[in-house]
Amino acid sequence: MNNYIILSVFVALFLVFVALGFGSSRFRRGDMSDLGEWALAGRKLGGYLAWFLVGADLYTAYTFIAIPELVYEKGAVYFYAVPYVGMTFGIAMITMPRLWRMAKGKNYVTAIDMVQDKFNSKTLAILLAFTGIVAELPYIALQIYGMQAVLTVMIGHLTTTDANIVTEIALIVSFIVLAAFTFTSGLRGATITAVMKDAIIFASVIVIIVVVPMRIGGFAVAFTDAKTLATGTSTLAGLFLNGFISLTIMSALALYLYPHAINGVFSTNSTKRLRLSTALLPIYGVGLALLALFGILIYAVPSALGDVAKYGAVTVVPSLIYAEFPDWFVGFAFLGIFIGGLVPASIMAISQANLLTRNVVKVARPNIDSKTEARLSKWFSVMFKFIALAFIFAISATYSLELQLVGGIIILQTLPAIFIGMYTKRLNKYAVGVGWAAGMITGVYMILDANFFIAHLPSLQTTFFKFATPFSFIYIGLIALLVNLLFAIVGSLVMGGTKEASVKTTKA
Amino acid sequence: MSSEESDTGWNYSAKGTTGQKVIVAILLIFPMLIFGITPLYNKDKPTLLGLPFFYWFETIWLVVSAVFYVIAALMLNRMEGGDSQ
Repeated sequence: MNNYIILSVFVALFLVFVALGFGSSRFRRGDMSDLGEWALAGRKLGGYLAWFLVGADLYTAYTFIAIPELVYEKGAVYFYAVPYVGMTFGIAMITMPRLWRMAKGKNYVTAIDMVQDKFNSKTLAILLAFTGIVAELPYIALQIYGMQAVLTVMIGHLTTTDANIVTEIALIVSFIVLAAFTFTSGLRGATITAVMKDAIIFASVIVIIVVVPMRIGGFAVAFTDAKTLATGTSTLAGLFLNGFISLTIMSALALYLYPHAINGVFSTNSTKRLRLSTALLPIYGVGLALLALFGILIYAVPSALGDVAKYGAVTVVPSLIYAEFPDWFVGFAFLGIFIGGLVPASIMAISQANLLTRNVVKVARPNIDSKTEARLSKWFSVMFKFIALAFIFAISATYSLELQLVGGIIILQTLPAIFIGMYTKRLNKYAVGVGWAAGMITGVYMILDANFFIAHLPSLQTTFFKFATPFSFIYIGLIALLVNLLFAIVGSLVMGGTKEASVKTTKA
Repeated sequence: MSSEESDTGWNYSAKGTTGQKVIVAILLIFPMLIFGITPLYNKDKPTLLGLPFFYWFETIWLVVSAVFYVIAALMLNRMEGGDSQ
């Protein structure tokens, strides 16, 4: 292997990426009418872009790094990501056009804007805004883990002496670059670079999934080499059936509660296009399924296993690519994975910034003008990127996926207010608030209990709670959500619904 | 209530016959239901290209789901009517 070729291809493509990121804002300024037509007029190309827009910020380091890592370590239960993706877009088909329609004409930027009107409660809105902001943090941290994994393999093969320091510096430099072009180009920059990211990822995944099984003599070989994984190898171990189902359904419910997913939904132009692009999104999941299988394939590639032993299970996909492909392709695919973390991190930070500006600052100071609003959001997005970066240097998780699953437990607590609040006036704002608190306390306590109080683990390792048979392992998000719903629904029955303010007051 | 307000979705209800709504509901719920009943596909055989059933079925079901969802989306879009694309 010539590691300098890998590095050169990687750096060259990264420069293209940066140029695209900065250039996208100039492109808009230079030819606004053309872009308006392209992105908004709703022709076939427009629908395609909408597909990228919503899809691209949903498939992230979660897909390239976190799921393969745990399929490799623990086996079949983490293939839950596939049914989750299949299910979540069905849920989105039902809920999102309605939310989009509610948002239209009221200029909602976040789902919390809707909650604030529906429940006529600023306090509840602020509470949920902070919930969204906090839930995104571990999700962004996961993106950084993914980027770090690529850098670790690439730099680890170049130098052994200062590899850690070089990796950290490279990470910080790329974050400064990212912060700069998100600042200037906003969501447009993220969207255009997302197309580049997905083109590279798709190409890489297809090549890898065709070439590697042929070289090792078929998938069957890898499944034999993988022997016995803790949660099942060729099928799911019975003990983890409830874990699989609870992870699937809760993740499917959680995805469209995340502010960054709502961002994508609101940036599409019509309910019809939103519906069609959402309906096609499970196709995106095929790539996810193939990447998850890398966690099994790697067992048949001894040199890749060597790298994983050295650099950690988080490097399953990069190690497999490094072991099996020519230098230029390795650089190409590595860059894809790297920006596959970078772009979503940007979109997530933008959505956090929107929440803080719209649902916290604007509520406290209602008369700030739109210019100030935009400026604030820009700076907040920079701030959140670096908070996430600090987060990863401060907190250690054994498995990167667990970060996202903790985020899921947190964001699920906004479900009653958003998904149920969308459909009914019968929820009471105080009951929803109490339900939120009860769900949050239950979730956080159970996470601490499962990891530290019972097992005394050195770092975050699981989001399952082990019950007695026949329940066995269940995702904590399910328990916390049930507790939340119990308080919200019983409380609302006792206290009665809340009068919404919006429909009457905002007659413009 | 002006027509503009009902368009904002706060008071929106889908047009279309009961029959159409039932078909759309089935098209949306059936793929999710299959994914949710894990014991249905938690088996080893038959294999495909060396992949156990558990893995290849879920992957292919993604594509089947997309087909179901797209038909539902097209029906809903027609039921919604109007001009906007």
